[in-house]
Amino acid sequence: MAEALPRIPEESRERSRLSSLAYRYRHWVGFLFIGPWLLSLLLFDIMPFFANLYLSFTDYSVGLVTPNWVGLDNYIEIFTEDRVFAKSVYNTVYYMLFSVPLRLVLAFAFALLLNARLRGMQMFRTIFYLPSVVPVVATSIIFIGLLNTRYGVINQFLVLVGLDPVRWLSRPEWIKPSLVIMSLWGFGGQMVIFLAGLQSIPGELYEAVSIDGGNSWHRLRHITVPLMTPTIFFNLIIGIIGSFQVFTQVFVLITATGGPLQAGLVYMINVYNNAFAYFRKGYAAALSVILFVIILVFTVIMVRSSDRWVFYGDDER
Amino acid sequence: MRKSLYIPILVLAALLLAFAPVQAQDEVTEIRFMNWWDASREVLMLELIARFEAENPDIRVINEVQPWDNRAELVSTAIASTTPPHIIMTNRQETFKFAGLGLIRPIDEFVADAGLDLGVFYDGEIGNQYWAGELYALPLPTAGGLTGMFFYNKGMLAEAGMDAPPATWQELEAAAQAINVGDAMGIDVLGVTVGSDASQFINWLYTNNGRYVDDLGRTLMFNSPEGVETLEWMIRFTNDVNGGVENMIDFHQGADFTAGDHPWYRNELAFNAINTSHFNHMRANAPDFFADTDRWGVMMRPYNGDNPDAQTAGVVGYSSSGGWGYTIPVVHTPELQAAAYRFAEFLGANEQGGCIFLFAQGRPSPVRACNEDPAYYDANPYWDVVLEGLGNDVAVSITPVQGQLHDILNVRIEEAFFGVLGAEDALNLAAEEMQGILDEFWSGLDG
Repeated sequence: MAEALPRIPEESRERSRLSSLAYRYRHWVGFLFIGPWLLSLLLFDIMPFFANLYLSFTDYSVGLVTPNWVGLDNYIEIFTEDRVFAKSVYNTVYYMLFSVPLRLVLAFAFALLLNARLRGMQMFRTIFYLPSVVPVVATSIIFIGLLNTRYGVINQFLVLVGLDPVRWLSRPEWIKPSLVIMSLWGFGGQMVIFLAGLQSIPGELYEAVSIDGGNSWHRLRHITVPLMTPTIFFNLIIGIIGSFQVFTQVFVLITATGGPLQAGLVYMINVYNNAFAYFRKGYAAALSVILFVIILVFTVIMVRSSDRWVFYGDDER
Repeated sequence: MRKSLYIPILVLAALLLAFAPVQAQDEVTEIRFMNWWDASREVLMLELIARFEAENPDIRVINEVQPWDNRAELVSTAIASTTPPHIIMTNRQETFKFAGLGLIRPIDEFVADAGLDLGVFYDGEIGNQYWAGELYALPLPTAGGLTGMFFYNKGMLAEAGMDAPPATWQELEAAAQAINVGDAMGIDVLGVTVGSDASQFINWLYTNNGRYVDDLGRTLMFNSPEGVETLEWMIRFTNDVNGGVENMIDFHQGADFTAGDHPWYRNELAFNAINTSHFNHMRANAPDFFADTDRWGVMMRPYNGDNPDAQTAGVVGYSSSGGWGYTIPVVHTPELQAAAYRFAEFLGANEQGGCIFLFAQGRPSPVRACNEDPAYYDANPYWDVVLEGLGNDVAVSITPVQGQLHDILNVRIEEAFFGVLGAEDALNLAAEEMQGILDEFWSGLDG
């Protein structure tokens, strides 16, 4: 006769039952850990977003007052009457079209240079990264000096190489280029991301090119750039989103007036003026909703187009 | 006890101490005072608060000095809070806006209960603090004395062969011609800038017998022949005498009078438009220069000598830097509002309050009697000129939409300076757009 199985003690059965419950609801532990972040997302992102959306349909001014519902009046005014809106969109798109590609190219070029296995590269990496961690306000103040017409370093360099000095901050046509130049200062952040991507490219791929008789240009064109397209895509999206939201450097460099003839009046400056200088927070909310839609459209276009040019290394794409 | 329990117990104790209810001191009401009295004025304000607390031991004032740069958003955010400061320093536009929305309380009742005689103030100064017939604040400093005066450098004037400061536009132009030193890329030594923005246009307009708006604040008047003449003169001066508006922008780039980083201190600027706060800034930043009255003087803003009806004038209340008052948000309890009012009254009307505070800065008080103190002549070597300047001030009616109106006028005037529009077209286009906004505001209020 088979021996009876030992009876599991009551205590062990209870522990086993609890372990089973914990296992079944183990995903809740994950939620517990991300709970604080979820709460902050809800309180500081999601709720303000919907509150802002609501306010965009009101004439909310300031303070703890009940806003009046005005429907689409704010949006209609923006698109039919507001000259400053059109100007701010133009200025911001101009800034985006120049600063984003230039910063990408600069960051990528420096990343390629810093990817070389030479002595001292760590130090250069730090040097080129440091400007990107300088606070934006400090950077703007530095550039007020750099861009000074008579005494600024940039103009002194131009004179040195035989060019005419430029009135960077006093001529309307040079305001936006000044902002673009200042934006290049912070390329270090993207450079570091590119560097990480470059260092993940398998070395044997480069060896294969060398074996096939290719030179450095072939390596760049057929290996580096294709394999870096996901990183380029990421930096491009982040760059575009950031450039549409540019504010602090413009505010410090040329104030909330936007400079001569409002040449530097970017979108967020217009939002700021309406919200805080004119006490038209409902109108400013509508402007910010429109900005959200613009950024969303750009992002969707970029993501959809990424199928054609971003290589993720899997056969299904 | 197990050692592993020490740390959790210490952490728990620290948390309990941090969040333990603070035992309030007996009967002391704490009020937060939001203001923009920075730089050297902060110390003076702390002294004023100390004097107030000595007289009112049941109230404690927490001085919350704010940075000037993002003032607009700080005020907006504060007044929108459920726990705003108990007393906020606001300019006229803000006072009117908040009053219209019912965010701040009228203080007529407090004034009556305290038995304060408002006649101690200059009529114009206290008049600036009324909205829709109710009083919302007591003034400090003066709304006047902000635009009608210039510092001038006697040495630079003498080197240019002049022994008296200019009184007219034409004399000013001649002086600037003689003083300016520069080249195609800029000015190293400047006689004067007449400005290229709406504020300066309005300031000069009143020295040409022009007006910004009618007395009721409903009809804009700046695009008159006097206005066109004024703007044309400013443009001609800037282009022909100063080499273009770009030179003026570059010359003043990064300059900060309050911090001592300004061409005036370096003898690179002969005439500097000032407000009454400049005396204290100059004394703080360049005490030797300030003390040497052989080197500098104060003159009235020049007027158009070709216009027989023109005279020197200052403008009160146009810009956002005028008509400061101390407003009390309605969300607080009556006791806190009462405490805030007591401090506001000390600030505005008490000899130990605003009077001493402003006297220490060599600037006038909105209280008549304070300005009659002969000691002012020791504190400010040009006190008689300051009083004369106050007497020349003309009040301007503004509304809560003044911020928008100002920016529209600013852009059009810039377009005139950069040659995009002629002076007359610029002013007419601005007036048309601004009048629309103003009419909409008044119709909403009247309705």
